[in-house]
Amino acid sequence: MTNKTNNYNYPDKNGRFGSFGGRYVSETLISALEELESLYKKIKNDKKFQEELTNDLQTFVGRPSPLYFAKRWTDKLNGAKVFLKREDLNHTGAHKINNTVGQVLLAKKMGKKRIIAETGAGQHGVATAAVCARHGIECIIFMGSEDIERQAQNVYRMKLMGAEVCPVSSGTSTLKDAMNEAMRDWVSYIDDTHYIIGSVAGPHPYPMIVRDFNSIVGTELKKQSKILFGKYPDKIVACVGGGSNAMGIFYPFIKDKEVDLIGVEAAGSGLSSGKHAAPLSDGSPGVLHGMKTYLMQNSDGQILGTHSVSAGLDYPGVGPEHSFLKDMGRVHYEAATDKEALKAFHDLSRVEGIMPALETSHALAWVSKNAKKLKKSDIVVVNLSGRGDKDMQSVAKADGINF
Amino acid sequence: MGRIKDSFERAKNQESKTLITYYVAGDNNLNFSKKVFLKLLSYADIIEIGVPFSDPMAEGSVIQRSHERALSSDITFKKILSLVNKLRVHNQDKPIVLMGYMNNFLSQGESLFKKIKNAGVDGLIIVDLPYEESEFFYNKLKDIDLDLIRLISPTTPKKTIEKIVKFSSGFLYYVSFRGVTGAKLSNFKEVQDNVKYIKSKTKLPVVVGFGIKEGEIAQKMSKISDGVVIGSRLIDIVQQNNFRLNDSLKFLEKSLKKFRRDVRKK
Ligand SMILES: Cc1ncc(COP(=O)(O)O)c(C=O)c1O
Repeated sequence: MTNKTNNYNYPDKNGRFGSFGGRYVSETLISALEELESLYKKIKNDKKFQEELTNDLQTFVGRPSPLYFAKRWTDKLNGAKVFLKREDLNHTGAHKINNTVGQVLLAKKMGKKRIIAETGAGQHGVATAAVCARHGIECIIFMGSEDIERQAQNVYRMKLMGAEVCPVSSGTSTLKDAMNEAMRDWVSYIDDTHYIIGSVAGPHPYPMIVRDFNSIVGTELKKQSKILFGKYPDKIVACVGGGSNAMGIFYPFIKDKEVDLIGVEAAGSGLSSGKHAAPLSDGSPGVLHGMKTYLMQNSDGQILGTHSVSAGLDYPGVGPEHSFLKDMGRVHYEAATDKEALKAFHDLSRVEGIMPALETSHALAWVSKNAKKLKKSDIVVVNLSGRGDKDMQSVAKADGINF
Repeated sequence: MGRIKDSFERAKNQESKTLITYYVAGDNNLNFSKKVFLKLLSYADIIEIGVPFSDPMAEGSVIQRSHERALSSDITFKKILSLVNKLRVHNQDKPIVLMGYMNNFLSQGESLFKKIKNAGVDGLIIVDLPYEESEFFYNKLKDIDLDLIRLISPTTPKKTIEKIVKFSSGFLYYVSFRGVTGAKLSNFKEVQDNVKYIKSKTKLPVVVGFGIKEGEIAQKMSKISDGVVIGSRLIDIVQQNNFRLNDSLKFLEKSLKKFRRDVRKK
């Protein structure tokens, strides 16, 4: 592991993270992926592009996001000190916007007139709709019909910002099917359309691009923790759906081996129940959505239905870089159940006055369970990836309340 | 590389282009699809058997639903191979090609190659096979005398076409438009130019597929290529007959006879 992390430089030229990643798509998409990759490489270090991006991150998104000491929660947990990286304070309420402000600039550089995206919880859809409205670009969001029901408010937010929301009712009618449908649309309108994938998933170069745009979170945390603690945190915890908020906060720390990195998947009704969305904890390598990665699948390679109380984690795959980091042992992956996440949601709301997204609540649940086992001097930072306003309906339902 | 090569020769000798059909194994159940394949074997030159996948990214709604029906009838890879085995009892000459997605083939591990060979399969089409892995599959299949059939699309750069044909055998499958299966063909001239270009780079036959639903289009396409693939249209026919076996077979036969005539050289 030591050697590998010292020279960590992935993906390789084939878009691989070890054996993971790659580009498993229909031939029609290959040239668009190559175009995106070569443009991105060219302008990634371009000063003007970086200035434009930084300006948007500051004035449109509201960065940098604060690093907040959760004092009352720390006291209650009676263990390590817990800090929250406040991505919930970003415009549109989650880390997802870090990626969309960057990708919309790429789309404009490529002269694309139309933007499509998939969404699960609706956060990525909202973040995409917002940047499209800001730049005056046509926006179409694919969303599973089941998620449209669970996240009705986000659907309305997207529409208010001028996006068209297309319900997807194939397969399991959730995030994975929305992604299939977005790919199908992309194949059909490839010449004038850019697809903004919402996580570090999909074919190369998406896992790299989405990671890079989100790593502003980890880069800020490095600076903030040096000032606040005089050192890096001992542990960084993030929830893992596709894995973009986790990759964003982990990536700048990969070579800093003294920092423990912990990704928390959705254990749904429990890992042993089979009703979960935790491919790293209970899955096997395979190919889906253009990438080789850990998946929830049967022995014939059919993708299994998933379950999680949070729509944003309800995905049978995970970004390929996480699969690589798992096998390499650099990041530890664990899982939290629906019940544990809901409890963490309530705890943080009551004790800190911060309502986290249900996705984020999975990372918080890990801290609840483990803070006591850590030294009091240990510093744990949780990526508070999003706010819980969108989840009022789901939480109320779990509590047996009807509006 | 026997059966596929022979089938193109045979078509040529009969003054015809090659008629290739696609239907999904297990739609709407295993036995039903077996009856359909037997019918297809008696009219088509090559049959493609679709391996159903839970996430068929390249398919339009007609074939998506077909995959869903097949999966809910509990189709497995093992059952597909035994289906091929049974078809081989009835027909030893016509090529049978499996067309599907990477994950289903990967799930079989290294034993995939031996299994498909023993079942009587002649080649594979893997929709989402990346370049870097095509050499591996090409060589593995070549070792056991099977073909790796590759797709080329309207967006494939010319340089890439040369790379693709290098690790292809049997025939090349030109995707007629930017889109998913079952959509409508839009630009005939582009197909004509691209097929011509591909043919200048390879000795392999080049067939055209995606969007060929009417006899008229089949006729046009077969004039500029070595054959055509009919897929969604056949599934449409079965659907329109509400999966009643005898009616489905009757209308399939009628349609196949017409396509047969349409691909004949005038
Ligand atoms: C607030 C929030 N956190 C996390 C996620 C999960 O995505 P990822 O694992 O890519 O960060 C989502 C997805 O919708 C989200 O909305």
